[in-house]
Amino acid sequence: MNLRRRAAATRTGGAPHDLVAPRIGRSVLQVALALGLAYLLIGGTLTYWQVVRADALTLDPANPLVQAARQSTLPGRILDSRDTVLAKSVRLANGTVVRQYLADPSLGPLLGYRSAQFGTAGLEAAENGVLIGLSGQSEADLLLRKLQFQLYRPQDVVLGIDMRLQKDAEQLMGNRRGAVVAIDPSTGQILALVSSPGFDPNQVASPATGAAAFGHLSTDPASPLLDRATQGLFVPGSVFKLVTSIAGLGSGAITAQTTYPDQPAEEKTGFLVDGYRVIDGHHPFTDGTALDYTQALEVSCNIYFAHVGLAVGGPALVQWAARLGFGAPIPFDLPTAASQVTGGGGPLGGFKDQVELANAAYGQAEVLVTPLQMALVAAAIANGGVLMRPHLVIGTRDAAGTLHPVAPAPWRTVVDPVIASTIANAMQQAVEGAWGIPFAGLGKVPGVPTAGKTGTAQLGGTGEPHSWFVGFAPVQGARIAVAVLLERAGSGATEAAPLASRVMADYLALQQGGTP
Amino acid sequence: MNLPGGIDTFALSLWLLRVAFLGALYLFLLSVARLLLRDLRSVSATAPGELGRLVVISSFAGGPPAGASYALDAVTTIGRDVNNTISVDDPFLSADHAVLTFRGRSWYLEDRGSTNGTYLNGAPVVGLAPLGFGDEVQAGQLRVRLDRPRPPRSA
Amino acid sequence: MNAIAPSPARQLGFAVRPRLRRRELALLAIVAGALVLGRASLASTLAGHLALGDLRLLGLYLGGIAAVHVAFVLTGRRSDQILLPTVALLGGISLLVMERLPQGLVVQRFVGHDLGLAQLQVGWLLLSLALLAVLAVVVRSDNWLRLYKYSWAAAGIALLLAVFVFGRDVNGAQLDLCLGPVCGQPSEPLKVILVVFLAGYLAENRELLAGASTRLGPLRLPPLPYLAPMLAMLGIALAVVGFQHDLGSALLYFAVFLFLLYIATARVSYVALGLLLFLAGSAVLYEIYPVVRLRVDIWLNPWSDPQGAGYQTLRALYALGTGGILGTGLGAGLPSVGATPAIPVIQSDFVFAAVAEEMGLLGALAVLACYLVIAERGLRIAATAQDDFRALLAAGLTLVVVVQAAIIVGGNIKLVPLTGITLPFVSYGGSSLVANALVVGLLLALSDRGVEPPPPPRPRRRVFGPGTAEGVA
Repeated sequence: MNLRRRAAATRTGGAPHDLVAPRIGRSVLQVALALGLAYLLIGGTLTYWQVVRADALTLDPANPLVQAARQSTLPGRILDSRDTVLAKSVRLANGTVVRQYLADPSLGPLLGYRSAQFGTAGLEAAENGVLIGLSGQSEADLLLRKLQFQLYRPQDVVLGIDMRLQKDAEQLMGNRRGAVVAIDPSTGQILALVSSPGFDPNQVASPATGAAAFGHLSTDPASPLLDRATQGLFVPGSVFKLVTSIAGLGSGAITAQTTYPDQPAEEKTGFLVDGYRVIDGHHPFTDGTALDYTQALEVSCNIYFAHVGLAVGGPALVQWAARLGFGAPIPFDLPTAASQVTGGGGPLGGFKDQVELANAAYGQAEVLVTPLQMALVAAAIANGGVLMRPHLVIGTRDAAGTLHPVAPAPWRTVVDPVIASTIANAMQQAVEGAWGIPFAGLGKVPGVPTAGKTGTAQLGGTGEPHSWFVGFAPVQGARIAVAVLLERAGSGATEAAPLASRVMADYLALQQGGTP
Repeated sequence: MNLPGGIDTFALSLWLLRVAFLGALYLFLLSVARLLLRDLRSVSATAPGELGRLVVISSFAGGPPAGASYALDAVTTIGRDVNNTISVDDPFLSADHAVLTFRGRSWYLEDRGSTNGTYLNGAPVVGLAPLGFGDEVQAGQLRVRLDRPRPPRSA
Repeated sequence: MNAIAPSPARQLGFAVRPRLRRRELALLAIVAGALVLGRASLASTLAGHLALGDLRLLGLYLGGIAAVHVAFVLTGRRSDQILLPTVALLGGISLLVMERLPQGLVVQRFVGHDLGLAQLQVGWLLLSLALLAVLAVVVRSDNWLRLYKYSWAAAGIALLLAVFVFGRDVNGAQLDLCLGPVCGQPSEPLKVILVVFLAGYLAENRELLAGASTRLGPLRLPPLPYLAPMLAMLGIALAVVGFQHDLGSALLYFAVFLFLLYIATARVSYVALGLLLFLAGSAVLYEIYPVVRLRVDIWLNPWSDPQGAGYQTLRALYALGTGGILGTGLGAGLPSVGATPAIPVIQSDFVFAAVAEEMGLLGALAVLACYLVIAERGLRIAATAQDDFRALLAAGLTLVVVVQAAIIVGGNIKLVPLTGITLPFVSYGGSSLVANALVVGLLLALSDRGVEPPPPPRPRRRVFGPGTAEGVA
């Protein structure tokens, strides 16, 4: 009972008011606001998972829904542009589902594999949602699917690849390491995507040989599991002069008529940049001529392009390259590595100094590119300065056989058509002009006006340089643009150029109804 | 049975059922939101204030100190039992001693059959006694005065 | 002379008058409709044709709610009319989810029958409703809470110590206390006791805490002697909970403590100091307890160990993704693969993930909105309370529910590290339901705007002047 004695004084009113406490109402309101904010944050996070990340989570290989699909559904096929079956699933007598591929080593890096043991990789992983039928359509379609009780609706994936060209390019590569990317400049459709050495995906997908094959492939020093075309980063050498050209002409730093009076002399003495000499001198036959832009590209003059790079400046060069896709992974059906103009960190838009900038301008220094990136550079020039979004998948085909095409779409407008045509003209000179023939003449497609640029990327140390060729044909209304890279194979003129010529010629012949 | 487009009628009705369920949840939240808004408006229209205060004039050892005051509910009971609005452990108080009620516009005091009675300005209270501000109430050893409500304190 | 103790109202000269609660009734009608629709949707999905399914459990539950409503009407208290429907909706969603999950997740033998998950949950729900109704109707004074705050605190500590000594391990945390066949989690009632104690102590001392201060460098600290009992109570609670590895409850207690301290004193420096202590404490716990480190590491990157430690967090995220905006529909998600649920402890810790998968973003947001409604009602009761104790009590009770929901939902969606506490009113479990019903019952009692004053008497009935006193002072 005595406990109660304290009671009365505890009431608000009961306490003497010499000390005044703040009103409770206001702090309650502040706490209410804090709670409201916390719940807003929770709602936002929830929305992030359930809307923004919903697709990614639904298709995650570890999602029980995807794992359940392994037992319950037969994934769709992968077809080439002429409906050649590249991959299909069959149910064996014992009930297990096995993926079977067209036996071709060029398909491994492109398609990846689908295996019960090793999961999915490559295009199989990228298009898994469509293939097992969990995604690929609009919200409306998903709704319809729920109404039809079809949780999984596998579809075929149709690629823009022409298997004849793909096989052709793969055979031309032989056992050399490298990559070939062929693209239709007007649509962005990938026509061939070869990484060599490749592997036959059947080896990995087959339960019998899978473990051994996978072990072998993952330890092979030639790294056949790496898709060089999209993820390999290589020093470009002179093919990068096309990017410098776009930056120089596009920014107005040079015109087609620009000459550098010191350049002929510098051919002999070297071009002194901040105490470092840019040395060239591999085209003595131009003698004392102060080269203009077209001539400089034709003879692939390093000193001229070093001047252009310095005239453009570091930040502008990086920006113009970014228009072509440098600096970030290219949005593509397969994962891509980001090409770079500089390693970054320096004061000149990332370049350490003028020397690095001058060397980068003709494709040395810290420049690293993927073959896909270089194919896009050629495609942009071929297509009048408009870069189309590159895509492997040209459509999906549902169970009823209806094709749902992926519409070609412009990705970036890189440079105006007049400048694109100036560069294209210079590239044609490089292949067909009197001065150019020794460098890129072997890139010529017989009977067809051809534009191109070779690259011979010095790697430092001993050993052969990377051999590059990028180009397109015909010069007007190009139907194919290619980038060819042969690792440590020698000069661009003798190795990559003839291979590129064959790939372009064969494609144009195939289009005429001929055979490669 | 199927509708055109291969849509199962059962699937359609099931889907409608699911949407109706979600819809009903939001109908509930909407109704609640309307009530909350109405409530908010009525609260801001009639600012909550107390109706009066009791200020302790004199007390006993261990009781509430003189000068302490109590905000009053519309019905405020006084007594020794803990269930009273104002509960004071005074042996001279009954368990349920007296009640103050605010009826209409003024206060009334009533004795709840206490042993020792309740006094208004010194006179014992019988039945319902009207009470004005400044009047003195005695119950047990506790003498209190009815004061005007304090104006709402601003923060 | 009062041989018979009449009811308080009769004593006051006016009888209990039933009061219609139209708003509550209308809202409850919507709740009932929604739950029946949900049950039909669930039954149709499971049956493969349009069906209403077994409505017995839902019927029992709705009957219980109707009974509570009638009790409120008959006793005529002028209490809040929105809290009951909101809680009823959450409880109903809980029932739907429990009916949807594999019934074998929890089985208890009761009077010769094996009861499954949903049957047990209905039992707990009904018990909770009864408790809620009794508290809301009967509690007319808060003095019994206010007066005995130290006794309550002692009881709470005793409860915890009992768990420490007699407790049973659940998933590496010492959580359960068993009394014969019935086991419960004392951390749930403890949170209510803690709020009662804090509210009582703060109400008594808030002027001192808010006003005077000890200076310590740039920090203005509260007068330490006044803070000591509170810190001690909290410290003991946290320590014991820390020993039991019940991180969720520890976090909840601490958060509610800080909130209440701020409400009582409006001093940002206290909260800042509290947060500082919290960070320091977390760092120490991270170093000392592998459990804490594991939880934080999983939170930061569940993908590092997808089949082991990160398993349940990842599964919850997949459930969210699969649910999308509209959800898969009740019964159509994948909360179970065969007989084992896709997410461990889906019925309690991860019930929100199940809701989000099957009812979608819209359903999950609706559930969150229900907690905000509870927050609004509770804090409004606090803001308009007649005195500090009631205000702090109402605020604390509200926070206990709303903060707990935020902590576990945040854990489900990888916003904060996962801790094993329940989602109030939705998770399976008796302790949680009963404790939260306790909270809402008290809130309802606190929300009572008092007995409606009777009309003024007619002039002729007024009696002036001295009458006959029955006793002599």
